[in-house]
Amino acid sequence: MSETITFPTMSKDEDAEGVLATWFVRTGETVRSGQVIAEVMVDKVSMDVEAPTSGTVTCLVEEEAAVRQGQEIARID
Amino acid sequence: MTAPVDVEAGARRVTTAKAISEAIAQEMRANPEVFVMGEDVGPYGGIFGSTGGLFEEFGATRVIDTPISETGFIGAGIGAAVEGMRPVVELMFVDFLGVCFDQIYNHMAKIHYESGGNVKVPMVLMMAVGGGYSDAAQHSQCLWATFAHMPGMKVVAPSNPYDAKGLMASAIKDDNPVIFMFHKGVMGLPWMAKNPRSIGAVPEEEYTVPIGKAAIPHPGTDVTVVSVSMSVQHCLDVAEKLEGTTSVEVIDLRSIVPLDREAILASVAKTGRLVIVDEDYKSFGLSGEIVATIADKDPSMLKVPVQRVAYPDIPVPYARVLEYEALPTRDKIEAAIAAVMKG
Amino acid sequence: MVDNDMRVDFYKEMVRIRTYEAALQRDYHADKAPAWDIGAGLIPGEMHLSAGQEPVAVGLCANLEQGDAITGPHRPHHLALAKGVDMKAMTAEIFGRDAGLSHGKGGHMHLFDPSQHFSCSGIIAQGMPVAVGQALAFSRRGTDNVAVAVAGEGAANQGGFHEALNLASMWKLPVIFIIEDNDWAISVNRETATPIKDGSLRASAYGMPSARIEGNDVEAIYDACRTAVERARAGGGPTLLEIHTVRLWGHFEGDAQAYRGDELAAATENDPIPLYEKRLLAAGLLTEDSIASIKAQAEEEVEAAIAYAKASPEPKPSDAYLHVFA
Repeated sequence: MSETITFPTMSKDEDAEGVLATWFVRTGETVRSGQVIAEVMVDKVSMDVEAPTSGTVTCLVEEEAAVRQGQEIARID
Repeated sequence: MTAPVDVEAGARRVTTAKAISEAIAQEMRANPEVFVMGEDVGPYGGIFGSTGGLFEEFGATRVIDTPISETGFIGAGIGAAVEGMRPVVELMFVDFLGVCFDQIYNHMAKIHYESGGNVKVPMVLMMAVGGGYSDAAQHSQCLWATFAHMPGMKVVAPSNPYDAKGLMASAIKDDNPVIFMFHKGVMGLPWMAKNPRSIGAVPEEEYTVPIGKAAIPHPGTDVTVVSVSMSVQHCLDVAEKLEGTTSVEVIDLRSIVPLDREAILASVAKTGRLVIVDEDYKSFGLSGEIVATIADKDPSMLKVPVQRVAYPDIPVPYARVLEYEALPTRDKIEAAIAAVMKG
Repeated sequence: MVDNDMRVDFYKEMVRIRTYEAALQRDYHADKAPAWDIGAGLIPGEMHLSAGQEPVAVGLCANLEQGDAITGPHRPHHLALAKGVDMKAMTAEIFGRDAGLSHGKGGHMHLFDPSQHFSCSGIIAQGMPVAVGQALAFSRRGTDNVAVAVAGEGAANQGGFHEALNLASMWKLPVIFIIEDNDWAISVNRETATPIKDGSLRASAYGMPSARIEGNDVEAIYDACRTAVERARAGGGPTLLEIHTVRLWGHFEGDAQAYRGDELAAATENDPIPLYEKRLLAAGLLTEDSIASIKAQAEEEVEAAIAYAKASPEPKPSDAYLHVFA
C-alpha cells in the first residue's frame, strides 16, 4: 500500500512557499517508520520530515526546489 | 538531484550538525557530569545547530545559555573541569577567541603541565570556523594554527558527519582539553549552500574516531593532497573529477594536534608530490608545519617543490569576488595538482 | 529643550532610517530564494537591521558634530545614517562594490567613515575601548569633541565594557557609553543574562554618572544625551546611558525568532515610529500630506542609493591583496 508524504504546514500564510532543503534518502532506498527523510524550511523555520511508515521511498521533488505547503514530496511503497 | 554520500541500504544519513549534537547527547546520557555551556546553545540549539535537541532533552541545568562573557564562562568551564566535570563549552565563532584567549591558552592548556600532571582539564571547547559566505574579517576565520601553536590542547576539525560524531565522542571522553572546530560549510545547514558531503551515513550507536589519526578517504599514487575540514570536501571533488587522469591521494587530517605526521610521510614517500590545502592563513601555520614535517625527515622524498593552496596573509574581505579570490577553491586545488604533476 | 522644528526633524530622520532598513531587508532576501543561501545574492552574508532602535540613533546624533566620534556594534546602520555617513557610499559598501566606504572589504558590520569619525565592529563591546582612545586623542588635542561607544545590553557583561568604563572614568575622558537595551542578545533574554534590572547602576562602580531611559522616546533620549554630551565637552568626564529600546526584527535576517513567543507581537505594537507619528499628528506638527511627503522623500533617497550601489562596479579580484598595510 502506498503512502504519500506532503510538505508540512508550517506557516499561517497558506500560500507561503517553502523549500525542500535537504534529502537524507534517495529514491529506491528502504526507510523505517520514524526515520528522518528530509529537512524542509518555510520562512526561515526548518523542520525534519519523518517517514510515517516503513518501505521503499520515492523522492518526488528536487533538493533546494521551491515547494508549496501540502504539496506531495515523497511516496513510500 | 544532489546525491548524498553512498551508504549501505537502510543506513541513516544526517547532517554534520546533527551528528555533533547526537554525540553530545549520547555522552550526556552516559555521564551526568557532562554539560553544555555557551551563547544560544539552549532553546536556539546553537547558532550553527551544534546543540540541536539538547535543551529539550536535558533542560536548563545541563544546557546553559550564558551571558556574553567568554572569559567568564570559559573560565567557569575550566573550573568545573578541574573538579572532574566534563563541560562542553561553545565559543560561538573562533574569531571571538580574542576576548577570552588567556583562559584558553594560559589556563585550559597549561594547568595540566603547570601542575606536574596532577590536575586534569577534561574540557571540550567547540567553535564554528570558516568562511565563504561573506561574513567578513571578524566572522570567517579558521585559526586552527593559532590554537595548534600553543602547547597543551588537542585540536580537531572534522570534514564530514561520520567523523564529526566520532571525534566529538572522543573529545568528551578525552581527559585533555580538546578544541573542536566545526566549519560552518560542513554542517549541512538548510540556510547555507552545502556540498553533499555534509550529509552522510552515521551509525545510530555510540562510536569514536581516534584523535590524532588522519584518514585517507581517496587513496592514490600520483600526488598527496593533505587537507582538513571543509577543504577536504573540495579536494575529494577534485580527486574524483581527475580519476583516470591523475591518481590523487587525499589525506583528511581530522586532527591538527596531534598531527598525524606518519600518515603524511608515508603518503609522500609513495607519491613524491605534495599539495597542501588549508583555509587558514598561509604563513606561520599548518601548511608550513606540514612542509617542515617532510623537510625535517627527508626532503629528497619530494620530486618537485610543494604547492600550498592556503589562505593568503590578508584579513577576510567582505565582497564575494574578493573573498573567493582568497579562498582555496576547487580550481586552485586542480591547478596546484597540475603544477606538481608537470614539475 | 526640544522645539517643534526638531520634532519634525526627528521624525524625518527616523523615517529615513526605517525606509533604508526596510529596503535593505527587501533586497537582502530577494535573491536568496527558493533555497535560502546566506552567501547568495547582491547582499551576501549576515545582516543585522536596526528597526525599532531609530530613536537612539536620532536622539544621540542630534547632539553630535562631524568631529565627534561613534564606535558602533554589529547593528550599525541607524547610527551611521544619523551620524551623517554618506548613504550612497555606505550602500555601495553593503553591496560589496569598489565605490563602497571600504572598497567592498568591510561589509555591513565594518563600516568606516573617517570624515565622520564613524566606525563599527562585529565583536561585542570591543568598540568601547576604541572610543575611549578617541576621547583620549580629543582631550590631548584640547578640542571639545566627544566620543560615543554604542553597544547592546549583552555587551555590558563583557570584560571590555568594564575596562573601558574604568579607564574612561579614571582618566576623566570625554566619552559617552550608550547601552541599547533591546532585551535580547540573539535568543538570550536580558533577564537570564544580567542580574540587575537597571544596568546604569554599574556606572557608580566606576565613579561616573548615569541614567536609564525607558520608553524608547526620541525626545527623552535626546535630552539625556544632551546632558551627557555637554558634560563631556565641558571636561566633566564620561557618562553611561542605558536606553531601553526594541528590536522589532530578528537578531539577523533569517532569524525566525521562535524564542520570542508572544513578546514579539507585543514588541511590534511598540514600534516607536508610528507612535511618534501619532503624537506629532495630534500636536498638529504633521499632517497626512506632510507624512506622505516625508515618506516619499525618504524612499527616493534610499532607492537612489540602492540604484547607485547596484550600478557600481565590483572590485577587481586582485584588490583583495591591497590595504593589508599602509
